[in-house]
Amino acid sequence: MERAGKKKSKITKPILWIVLIIVAVIQIFPLIWLLDFSLASSNEMFTSGLLIIPKKIQWGNYVKAFVDGNFLLYLKNSILINGLAVVLVILVSIMAAFACHRMRWKLSGTVKMLLLMGLMIPIHATLLPNYKIYSMLGLTDTMWALLIPYVAFSLPQALFLMTSFMSAIPVELEEAAVMDGCGIYRIIFQIITPMLKPSIATVAIMTFLNNWNEFMMASTYLSSPTWKTLPFSILEFTGEYSSNYAVQFAVMALTAAPAVIVYIILNKHITKGVAMGAVKG
Amino acid sequence: MKKLYSNKLVILSLVLPGLVLFLFAILAPICLSVYYGFTDYSGMGSYNMIGLENYKTLLQDPTLRIALRNSLYLALGFIFIQHPLALITAAVLDKLGGRGENFFRCVYFIPNVISVAVIAYLWKFIYNPDFGLLNNIIKAFGGKGDINWFSTDTAIWAVLIVLIWHGFGWGMLIYYTGIKNIDPVLYEAAAIDGANQTTTFLKITLPLMKPVIQVNVTMAVISALKQMETVYLLTNGGPGNSTQFTANYLYQQAFKAFKYGYGNAIGVIFIIICLLATVILNKIFEDREETKLKKLEKARAKGAAV
Amino acid sequence: MWRQKEDSSSASDDGKVTLKVFSNLPDRKNGQGLVEQTIIDEYMKENPDVNIEVEALDEEAYKTKFKAYSMEGMPDVVSIWGQPAFLDEVVEAGVLAELNSDDYADYGFVEGSLNGYTYDGKLYGLPRNTDIGVFYYNQKMFEDNGWKVPETYDELLALAEDIKAEGIIPVAMDGGDGWPLACYLADVLYKLVGSDYSQIVSDAIESGDFSAPEIKEATQLMKDAADAGLFQNGYDSQDYATSQNLFTNGQAAMWYMGSWETSMATNEDIDESIRTNIRVFTMPTVEGGKAAATDISAWNGGGYAVSANSEVKEEAIKFLNYMYQPEKLSKYGWENGVGLSAQDQSEYMTGDETELQKQIVDLLANSTDLSGNPINDCGPSAFKTSIESEIQSVTNGTSSIDDFLSTIGASCK
Repeated sequence: MERAGKKKSKITKPILWIVLIIVAVIQIFPLIWLLDFSLASSNEMFTSGLLIIPKKIQWGNYVKAFVDGNFLLYLKNSILINGLAVVLVILVSIMAAFACHRMRWKLSGTVKMLLLMGLMIPIHATLLPNYKIYSMLGLTDTMWALLIPYVAFSLPQALFLMTSFMSAIPVELEEAAVMDGCGIYRIIFQIITPMLKPSIATVAIMTFLNNWNEFMMASTYLSSPTWKTLPFSILEFTGEYSSNYAVQFAVMALTAAPAVIVYIILNKHITKGVAMGAVKG
Repeated sequence: MKKLYSNKLVILSLVLPGLVLFLFAILAPICLSVYYGFTDYSGMGSYNMIGLENYKTLLQDPTLRIALRNSLYLALGFIFIQHPLALITAAVLDKLGGRGENFFRCVYFIPNVISVAVIAYLWKFIYNPDFGLLNNIIKAFGGKGDINWFSTDTAIWAVLIVLIWHGFGWGMLIYYTGIKNIDPVLYEAAAIDGANQTTTFLKITLPLMKPVIQVNVTMAVISALKQMETVYLLTNGGPGNSTQFTANYLYQQAFKAFKYGYGNAIGVIFIIICLLATVILNKIFEDREETKLKKLEKARAKGAAV
Repeated sequence: MWRQKEDSSSASDDGKVTLKVFSNLPDRKNGQGLVEQTIIDEYMKENPDVNIEVEALDEEAYKTKFKAYSMEGMPDVVSIWGQPAFLDEVVEAGVLAELNSDDYADYGFVEGSLNGYTYDGKLYGLPRNTDIGVFYYNQKMFEDNGWKVPETYDELLALAEDIKAEGIIPVAMDGGDGWPLACYLADVLYKLVGSDYSQIVSDAIESGDFSAPEIKEATQLMKDAADAGLFQNGYDSQDYATSQNLFTNGQAAMWYMGSWETSMATNEDIDESIRTNIRVFTMPTVEGGKAAATDISAWNGGGYAVSANSEVKEEAIKFLNYMYQPEKLSKYGWENGVGLSAQDQSEYMTGDETELQKQIVDLLANSTDLSGNPINDCGPSAFKTSIESEIQSVTNGTSSIDDFLSTIGASCK
């Protein structure tokens, strides 16, 4: 078998490489194009060449993008809101999963069903009514306006993952803990939670990926810069620098950068997380 | 133990946060939508209950039909273009091994972590007929390169390409994981039987990937229905309404045309369609589940026999 | 006044008033946005206890968010358009504060300019500009190629052929947003029917019947232009900035837009060889049309208003009045070349104005008739939404003229 496989791969390996390289170029070339023109000056865009060597590298584009795009503030907001969302989703989903899966009560199935319903509801259908509700409660233009829907719509998937992982944890562990006089909360947070580590990582990654790029709600519910998230850098910038394409390219590259860098660093973990989430979900 | 595990107060405290979130962020807005769907509310001032009037108008509304048709196109595009490509790439990648494998997997996924806002604006430039990347590529290969990608007839496909490109890495990764989970014994058996790689792919990989494919197809249909952000930024439904999607349309009706009531009626129909689609797809695949299980056993038996 | 009351009730320094300004001018470093920002900065300097927060969005995003705000509470000072499509519903719902029209007797507003902002004899906002639709053109490009400014619509279409032959786009058009096309349609219709324009449009909107032969003909003329390739490839999906950049980067010979863009002449982001050569002409006359070359369709579009429910309404009105002092908005606007304000600007003429600016002034000074809001702005917002999305389909030939006219008619009902 070994030999047969090797023999075959000698012929096909180059073809494999070619196919994979073509796909890679399609996936990545637009981003290289973006980087290239973000370092040029605006009128150099109007060429018919694919890539250009800028006459002079315009680092100034990035300075403008960084300063006028409120980059640091929006990055901080994005990290804060998404980080909080991740923590809350994990906490709430572990608690609910334990209650629905381990504890004995009549309505456990019904409640789990209810909570999972969110998987099927399109998030954008709640844009209009939520706008009313949040303005009535004075939540518009606060981070709650984003945090609440982000957590609520990430919860079903998280709950799903948590329950499926929880069922693999042997009940005997808990029985022993009960003998030792542990309460439910201690069982959940000291015994179960540490064992859920891989699924917690998965939930964190999925929640982060889903919400990091969200902007429809952000643009509807927020108005002052206090809580605006990273996509706003671009939305505001295209108006501000409407006649300077190169700077617009710089702000796009800059906005994309944090996620791409984090992804490259955590590549293996993220891949594992997404894969696990997808297979179980 | 039993007593501890059926303490009502503890249970309540555990599920309450989740339930409150569900009630407040999902159920309450839906109820509100149902209510406003029965009104002629403009969004401001007073309004009247008008019964099913909005829904009657909705049935006649050509734009909603276009939006649903576009969702269908998108779903078909995902299922018949994106997923086969992703699956094949995953299978090819699986054969590569070594550092190259990790490298390509990483590269393919990169567009996926980039914000829709960046992607949409970037592709606006890529598609520009006068100085965009795509037409420049055509020019580089000697073509005329004056294609208007966002013409009424082609705009929906232009949108589709962006979405396929953006979501490719995700689909690929899921298939890739699925393939990695296939028992290598089966491949060994096939190799001994003298099967070449294409046959192995068709006879072993593909059938065993069925559950993954089913999940992905369901996801594709749902995400095609839910599509909003990319379209909102890329074309905002234009030219005309040729790239309109339900979510974008309801947003426009409420926040542009001052038809908040009508927008909510669209929202209600939108939710119903999404629920129906999920339930129907699950039903279809559930029936197949049994046949699939049988096949799996057969394949296993075959592997074991060798 | 209000401030003093506040001070006496709360002795702390935190009594600082925050005014929220919601603006449709995201570019704060050029043109009108710069003018607005300059005045805001000056106001804050003169009134250290007032802090002004600006939220600025692109035109289309602005209008959407404005509507969302009008449902649930406006920022204190907002940009508005003095046109029925934008204002009728909001004013009826009581979203905007009534202003005291006597306050503005000395502000030098051009006669009639407040009409669009007045409902039932009450004033709800103040106009910022006098707008006309123009073709900006690149004079140097015209001279180098021996092209002439067209005097009739047929000449315009013939010119398009010559320009295309040079591989240049004749007119850059922001067709992705529906309103510039609607302005174009209104412009053509005005050239056809002259001073009857307003009557014909309001009749059609009132009755929902757009089958009047003049409207049909104007639509046909607009479609002819699109068919003749007057606009760039893909104009119907390109936005404001893209169309502008085609022109300011020399890809297009002309750009159809409002006179508020005259500040291009001083925008340093635009290459000097282009920015100093920008000139304008208005919609040429149409064969058999009633309007003369010097009859121009003009309107007082953009302006400002104050929110009725503002918690700092008096301070907001004070700021509004500060802005509209003739030596602020009008003067700075003039100095920055942002087209014409709705106030008398004659005393700020220095002779140092850009050529472009002088040209616009001359156009208006020599005009024999000025009238007409763009057609899309004359009806309710459902009509505006409808015409702005359907107009792309009729110009690119996806739907017939009759279908177009009946669809937009239906949205008026």
